[in-house]
Amino acid sequence: MVVTIEEVKHLGWLAKLEMSDAELQRYTTQIEDIVNYLNKLDTMPLEQAEPIMLKKKFSELRKDTPETFEDRVLGTAYMKDSFVKGPRMI
Amino acid sequence: MTTIATKIGLEIHCQLTGAKSKLFCRCSSDYRGKAPNTNICPICAGLPGTLPLLNKKTVEFAAMISLALGCKLPDEIAFYRKNYFYPDLPKNFQLTQYNAYNITSIGVNGKLEYISSKDARIRRVQLEEDPGRLVYASGNMDTSVYVLIDYNRAGVPLVEIVTEPDFIDPKEVRMFLDKITSIIEHLEICDTKLEGSVRCDANVSVDGGNKVEIKNISSFADVEKALRYEITRQRTMASREIQVRSETRHWDDARKVTKESRTKEEEQDYRYFPEPDIPMVVLGSEFVSFIKQSMPELPDKRKERFMSDYGLSDHIAKVIIGNKELADFFESAIAVYFSPKEIANWIVTDLMSFIDERTKKEEEEEKEHSLFAGLKVGPEHIADLARIVDQNMINRATAKQILGQTVRTGEMPSALAKKMQANRIDDVSVLTQAVQSVFEMEQAAVQDARRNTNVANFLLGKVMKITKGKADPKIVLEMIQKKLKED
Amino acid sequence: MSLDTLHVEQVVQGIKSREFSVEEYISQIFERIEKVEPKINALVTLNKEEGLNRARRLDKKIREGKQSGPLAGVALSIKDNICTKGMKTTCASKMLESYVPAYDATVIKRLMTADAIIIGKANLDEFAMGSTTEFSRYGPTRNPWDISRVSGGSSGGSAASVAALECTASLGSDTGGSVRCPASFCSAVGLKPTYGLVSRFGLVSYANSLEQIGPVGRTVSDVVSVLNVIAGSDENDHTTTTNDSKPTYLLKERNGLRVGLVTEFIKGADSAVSKVIYKAVDTLEKQDCNCEEVSLPSVQYALASYYTIATAEASSNLARYDNIRYGFDMNPEGYEWNSYFARARSNFGEEAKRRIIVGSYVLSSGYFGRYYMKAHQARSLLKHEMENLFQRYDVLIGPTMPILPFKIGERIDDPLKMYLVDIDTVVANLTGMPAVSVPAGFAEGLPVGLQIIADQFAEQTLLDVAYSFEQAAKVQRSPDL
Repeated sequence: MVVTIEEVKHLGWLAKLEMSDAELQRYTTQIEDIVNYLNKLDTMPLEQAEPIMLKKKFSELRKDTPETFEDRVLGTAYMKDSFVKGPRMI
Repeated sequence: MTTIATKIGLEIHCQLTGAKSKLFCRCSSDYRGKAPNTNICPICAGLPGTLPLLNKKTVEFAAMISLALGCKLPDEIAFYRKNYFYPDLPKNFQLTQYNAYNITSIGVNGKLEYISSKDARIRRVQLEEDPGRLVYASGNMDTSVYVLIDYNRAGVPLVEIVTEPDFIDPKEVRMFLDKITSIIEHLEICDTKLEGSVRCDANVSVDGGNKVEIKNISSFADVEKALRYEITRQRTMASREIQVRSETRHWDDARKVTKESRTKEEEQDYRYFPEPDIPMVVLGSEFVSFIKQSMPELPDKRKERFMSDYGLSDHIAKVIIGNKELADFFESAIAVYFSPKEIANWIVTDLMSFIDERTKKEEEEEKEHSLFAGLKVGPEHIADLARIVDQNMINRATAKQILGQTVRTGEMPSALAKKMQANRIDDVSVLTQAVQSVFEMEQAAVQDARRNTNVANFLLGKVMKITKGKADPKIVLEMIQKKLKED
Repeated sequence: MSLDTLHVEQVVQGIKSREFSVEEYISQIFERIEKVEPKINALVTLNKEEGLNRARRLDKKIREGKQSGPLAGVALSIKDNICTKGMKTTCASKMLESYVPAYDATVIKRLMTADAIIIGKANLDEFAMGSTTEFSRYGPTRNPWDISRVSGGSSGGSAASVAALECTASLGSDTGGSVRCPASFCSAVGLKPTYGLVSRFGLVSYANSLEQIGPVGRTVSDVVSVLNVIAGSDENDHTTTTNDSKPTYLLKERNGLRVGLVTEFIKGADSAVSKVIYKAVDTLEKQDCNCEEVSLPSVQYALASYYTIATAEASSNLARYDNIRYGFDMNPEGYEWNSYFARARSNFGEEAKRRIIVGSYVLSSGYFGRYYMKAHQARSLLKHEMENLFQRYDVLIGPTMPILPFKIGERIDDPLKMYLVDIDTVVANLTGMPAVSVPAGFAEGLPVGLQIIADQFAEQTLLDVAYSFEQAAKVQRSPDL
């Protein structure tokens, strides 16, 4: 199973992770090793094992009662008129 | 005229403004008008270590819409993460629902009859959270040096309704959206008059060509416009044998055109997987009957009831249930004075014209108010009016006049009628004088009137004019006819 | 008197009976920290001023004869991925360098109500991803028994601070063995509770379907005392059990139980380790326990399943760290948003980045069915196998770690080799079952831990065996530092 640098680059784009060329090289070989190990799952017997699902009753869900959170939530110093300042869109 | 087959599908997002708190946290779902980032908490702001807490009411509301749209409700529902990055997304994934691996969203495979004998198929109904809002510092995405983010709206509950591409022209779409609006309002889950509470994306293809998605349509009213533009664009390309590209286009509300979205260099992959922090919600066998019982009356059922219980005609009933406020108004009025046909008539003809007049003015200003905003008339006024007409206190012409005044001042029709009666000049001497003056002024007409009795009405009109409408027309007419016979 | 050597109940009793004051005890704790912290690097943040203030307030409360909580005065360190309001919570990452939570985790609220005192935040592998605490931004935590060796991870700071007497107990988190591994390497007791027993509200998520907050102590008694305060359903965590009653666990010995020694675990261990484990088996048999070897075939898929699910969930859980709402100081002006996000997130450590990429890989379209879905099926295979075994056995045992604590830096360049040390511990996370590591003895002067696993919500049985074994084995507790 080959994992290419291109694939890792694309995944880096999907995950918004900037990587240097050296990192890309290093990670690609390491990740290829890891993915090859994960292929062990292919050798599992094909029994109809139902995935375990946690369940919760409809009646146990949260009641629709609003509450105000009083303390300061955001931790950034970059704000303007109580908006959060972010990088430009283009 | 059209030989080219058009296919239109819709993706409607409707905020559950009827819910008091957000979808996964206890913040108020009412974010409008609040200072930025004052309606947030650690959960909806995506702080580390926080967990989503599903709002029971929103599940009920979503189930109501699903049932109203004829969908099948599953026994259990699950939530999924849709993973992508964007500055308005606090967790950089959206919690939504997904249909795969034997699990469905809150409603699937429904259909809605929106014109008689025309159905639109509903592919799915799902619950999901709204992201925050981005505001551009200079008012424009292209020129802003930084973006301003307000998370007040993040986490507000949404229901997404996706249809199959069953519409063949924008007019059908408009009718469908009207019907959806009516249903949503009757269910009291969304106040569609609030800005941004309902949004609609559309997809359209022409003559088997590629499908184009149109996003950023901010109101139901704009959907028709956007579709007309896009269909024309696609047809034009087809006629020049240029292939229409499968893409997502943006509706530019200012220029009224669809624009190419910025092309992405890479392919997006949402990597959906089930949200581990929300267990599968078991709805239970009693759930459907519970929802059906607690659901408010749907517009179609209400229309049927109006026709069978109150004897209203199909047409009139249709107009009244077309808007929930109108239907509520009607039922409140008949509760005061039970004369359904009479009251319905007054509402549908005269009252509606006052409303339309005022609405036209507002459309120019683009305000959307309650149906009766600016009009000082309530159900009790119409009930009162119907009563005095029924009791023959006044004739229809006068009643119309009175209604006009009531709408402006809020005075009760019966009070106005009494006032009119009281102001009426029935002093014979005054009237005799008035009649005398008219006979002197309109000698030609008087001659005519002697030959043709109808002309007496003309003379009556003149008397009414000089008495500023206060003369009692009955008495004056008698006087005129008597005088005509005399000379 | 060396108050820092006391156990939880001794501290609580001593304070209650006015043998010593809280302030005295806490002062000694901070003295101890000052002495040994430079050698082991177990703590990221110290809570000295507030800790002493709390101690004084508690002394006043006790003098006034007011009621005090079950952990009154007890000094605890808290793994730095558990949110403490007003106290920096960094997850040992640059991405949360200046993050101060706006709220307390539920477990913290419960500890505060019980009058415990937090003396500081404990070091960890970045975002709890690692088995040695070497992936911390603040440098590795060193093993108190041999400071050239790793303390285990990811809750290395928790176990080391307990072993080194810097606190009386600690809270760690366990996603694939992160409480039990360092407990084993540091000769402490570390428990991973049944999934859903302890609230995760306030635990910075790494892999939500696998992790639990768990207590670390020098004795089973310490772990039970802390567990009784933190366990129980929480309306702020929908994955906790909805059983309303607050569980209370007792400390008692129990003999004559049926014990299964998992073949795959013992055969996969180094001989130095297995020798100690076989001795532990003897000890248990002397307690009238019936021990036999038993196979758990699905173990061969366990690591692959674990790393698939954990990295998948992590890749999504770590997406929120874009430095816009909280994080570290980096002005967004001048950047386009994609570049800002990518540049900010380049500040994750290597291991975190690797796991994010692997996680994105296994979730990506085309691979989802092959890895993620199969991994879940492996989980349920494993669970069924174990549930069947629990029909015949009360507990399953084996070594917590297949190897002895190794030298710092030994495995850091080989991620896969590092992952392999989790082979014995991931099973309990995948199945949601409770597991504990208790000190079993020493080999070559280094600690070996015995892992005990029980069925879901069978903590009492688990703790019974752990306590019985501990009382019989009498393994030394404190290193020379």
